[in-house]
Amino acid sequence: MQATTTLAEAAPEVASAPSRFWEIIPLDNAIFEQLFTVDTAITVARVVLTAALGFIFVGLVITVLRKVVTKRMEARSGGLVVKIAQYLGFAFIAISVLDAAGVNLSALLGAAGIAGIAIGFAAQTSVSNFISGFFIVSEKTFSQGDVIDVDGTSGLVHSIDAMSVKLRTFDNRLIRIPNETLIKSNVKTITRFPIRRLNMDILVTYDTDIERARQVLLELAAAEPNALRSPEPVFMVSGFRDSGIALFFGVWFATNEWFDGNNAMHIAVKKRFDEEGIRFALPTRTVYQGKAVAAPKKPGARRAAAGGPRGNNGS
Amino acid sequence: METWKRWNLPKNEDTRVHRIGDRRICVAVDMVGDQYVLAAMALPPEASRGSRLALPSLSDKAWTRFFMDKAEDYELAPAYPPMPTCIRLKQPFSLAPGSTVEGWIFSRIEASILVNGARIASFPLATPYKTLYGSPEAGVICRYDEEEFLAAAEPLASSLHADQRFVAHPVRLRNASAEPVEVSDLCIYGEQLSIVGDEKTMQSERLLFVFSSSGVRMSLDGTTLLPLGSRVMAKPAVSGEERFIVRSFELFKNMTRI
Repeated sequence: MQATTTLAEAAPEVASAPSRFWEIIPLDNAIFEQLFTVDTAITVARVVLTAALGFIFVGLVITVLRKVVTKRMEARSGGLVVKIAQYLGFAFIAISVLDAAGVNLSALLGAAGIAGIAIGFAAQTSVSNFISGFFIVSEKTFSQGDVIDVDGTSGLVHSIDAMSVKLRTFDNRLIRIPNETLIKSNVKTITRFPIRRLNMDILVTYDTDIERARQVLLELAAAEPNALRSPEPVFMVSGFRDSGIALFFGVWFATNEWFDGNNAMHIAVKKRFDEEGIRFALPTRTVYQGKAVAAPKKPGARRAAAGGPRGNNGS
Repeated sequence: METWKRWNLPKNEDTRVHRIGDRRICVAVDMVGDQYVLAAMALPPEASRGSRLALPSLSDKAWTRFFMDKAEDYELAPAYPPMPTCIRLKQPFSLAPGSTVEGWIFSRIEASILVNGARIASFPLATPYKTLYGSPEAGVICRYDEEEFLAAAEPLASSLHADQRFVAHPVRLRNASAEPVEVSDLCIYGEQLSIVGDEKTMQSERLLFVFSSSGVRMSLDGTTLLPLGSRVMAKPAVSGEERFIVRSFELFKNMTRI
């Protein structure tokens, strides 16, 4: 019985709440009438619909794009493409929503253009790096995990980012190279191809039997297990230098075994040349020793000393 | 004496030596706590010349060591090298357009040690040299072999090439291009192949090499006649579709020897 009384007492309080609200914002308020018109409702519905359809459309495109790039592109490049497509999609949605809301886009785009120029000048380096990043990715000169050399700085490609490429050097330092610098520089990709040649420039003394040196070098390459049988080693007499005969010997190795091959071949060449008596040439200067001999005097000079030119000596 | 078989652990004996060709595979057992450790190493021919073997201690890095857990034995089995094998023919020959030739090629195998079916070590039975098959831009690093090509369609007589270090491959070479091709190198991918045979003579499935304007394609060429009493000594490392078509095509489609 007591509970019924409580409910009955509470009911008038609940009923009185709306009346208070409409006392604050009355139905005949002019602003309200202006805001909540049928046109406004249609506009809001159009905006919501545009945004919803836009998100669905962009979402579908991104999903398809992500599947395509996963199959056809490496992870880093694919991620970059998807990210750019997302930004473009969001820009497209924003413009469509503003258009649906009846906002004058020409003025907005004009303002955006001016702002874009201002930002462009301010962020010139960043934009340049960003665009250079596209070229780096699209050219596929190197990829993550490759060993590259950029103007004397070499290392393993740690990451390819929007603004820079990060290298891990062989002494375990991280080096950030801006994409713009990479575009302007000569980049050597050392691990691009499966094989790499070891180039050995050898200077031997002039008393060396070149044929024997050639035979020894070819035998050493044949005995080295990591040296490739095909392509065959290259031997060349580079020329005659001040100190000795310059020989060139090139041996091919699998790229990942080049380092070991380099050490093995140099050690083997030194050891075998020592055994064979083939000497490496050092910078030398040949000095000839002999007695100083007075230069013979010219006949004309003697005559001149005796009496001057014949023409002036006539009787 | 049979070599390719399952062996008990040499617990109560000194180092066990398996002689295969001019190589020796040494197997010993070490104790770590209450666990047995299998140690294996290969000796080069020059190390085997002396009357007495001078082996390093079992803690030396020359040994491949493997915890045996509850396993009581190991298997010595022939195996293909872990990389493709490029066989350079000692006498290259030309193949006319549209022609097909059948024959045999041979490649060197390795001696592998398996415990519970898992390969724990593999030792080449000759100095393993390497070569490039294909172009310098897109070639494949291969194990190098230089062998003869025997143009014979008949099954290989067991008396020929009865060498534990080699496996014979029956092959069919077809020139599908409009130009003559010189056959000088043939590349086989061992992980796609099995080894069947007996103690002395081993062979793989028949291989088909098709030379076309786009390159060389290798695939398995159906079944082949096997010698009586032969058994499967090594199974392919890959199976199914990958084994037959996809892998070989992807691997060799960019290569050309024409």
